Amino acid sequence: MLQKGSAKKVTLWINEETRFHHEKLWLALFEYLRHKRIAGASLTHTKMAFGDHKRVHNADAAETAEFSYRIEFVESPERVEEVLPTLYEMVVDGLIEIHDTTVIKSVNEDRTAPESLPPVERTQRKAKLMRVFLGERDQWHGEPLYDAIVKQLRMMDIAGATVYRGIMGYGSKGETHRPHLLHISEDLPIMISVIDSASKIVEAEPVVESMLEDGLIAVSDVDVLRLIRPQVASEYSNAKR
Amino acid sequence: MLNGKAAKLLRIHLSEGDTADGRPTHEAILSTCQELGIAGATVFRGLEGYGETAEVHRNRALSRDQPIVIVVVDEAAKLMLLVPEIESLIRSGMMAMSDVQAIRVQKGSAR
Repeated sequence: MLQKGSAKKVTLWINEETRFHHEKLWLALFEYLRHKRIAGASLTHTKMAFGDHKRVHNADAAETAEFSYRIEFVESPERVEEVLPTLYEMVVDGLIEIHDTTVIKSVNEDRTAPESLPPVERTQRKAKLMRVFLGERDQWHGEPLYDAIVKQLRMMDIAGATVYRGIMGYGSKGETHRPHLLHISEDLPIMISVIDSASKIVEAEPVVESMLEDGLIAVSDVDVLRLIRPQVASEYSNAKR
Repeated sequence: MLNGKAAKLLRIHLSEGDTADGRPTHEAILSTCQELGIAGATVFRGLEGYGETAEVHRNRALSRDQPIVIVVVDEAAKLMLLVPEIESLIRSGMMAMSDVQAIRVQKGSAR
């Protein structure tokens, strides 16, 4: 449910005949907003309008009249930010506008549990990004080294790691790779990227270094924007009782 | 050699379909890196992306047009030699450089 306070009102102006794949765009947009559990959206069709095409859409005129549709919804800035990129992609013809608004009251008598997802928590902070370069064939006690490193990082409660496989490269095995070895080899390059606070990376770096037989570790500063969506905890329903 | 000192990390973003001198641009860049004695370079293929022409690069049925990122790590001086070479190879694309602390690990058969 909508919280009191500042929110965004989004208005989408769409022509009746505009299509999104095989269905009407206004319908597709409406369904999308419902699917995303947007607090509430209303669809209205306007009697008369004209837009970019300079054609007058008049509902009363002829049989061939085109309606113009307006979809409006009010949501928290975070939720609007979440759906906006998709709306932007979908609206190939029409207009999207956003207004700042204030929710004074939003109540629903027969609502027993909040249907909408809890608000997204966002924190920004300085962090470190560690990239580990190694080979796909590198082993650690009989298992792939990249697997072993990721497991180790998880055990150390490092916030996150992603393993990438390159399509070609050289260097992870030292200076032994010469240009004639450039052809597709079975030992493809692997890069693990790890992001966490400086102190956690400082802690993880020597551990990774000790596991690495031959490779490169590169650490850089990054700004982390972290999106956290708290679990819909059972406290919610408990609190209601 | 790189051990525990400040270095640079260069990322080159381009498209898999790009060619230079009749071969894929990323292969040409990799060869150039080796010729200049750059410590290492890795080519990654993304799944989807878009760039300065704002057209979405994805794997089409007929042509490969997925995004490519090449990651190169070496001393700043080395990369400064590489950048103009790459500029002459790419027609469109993006390069970004950042500061890194590099640790080269080479155990056992050290050479």
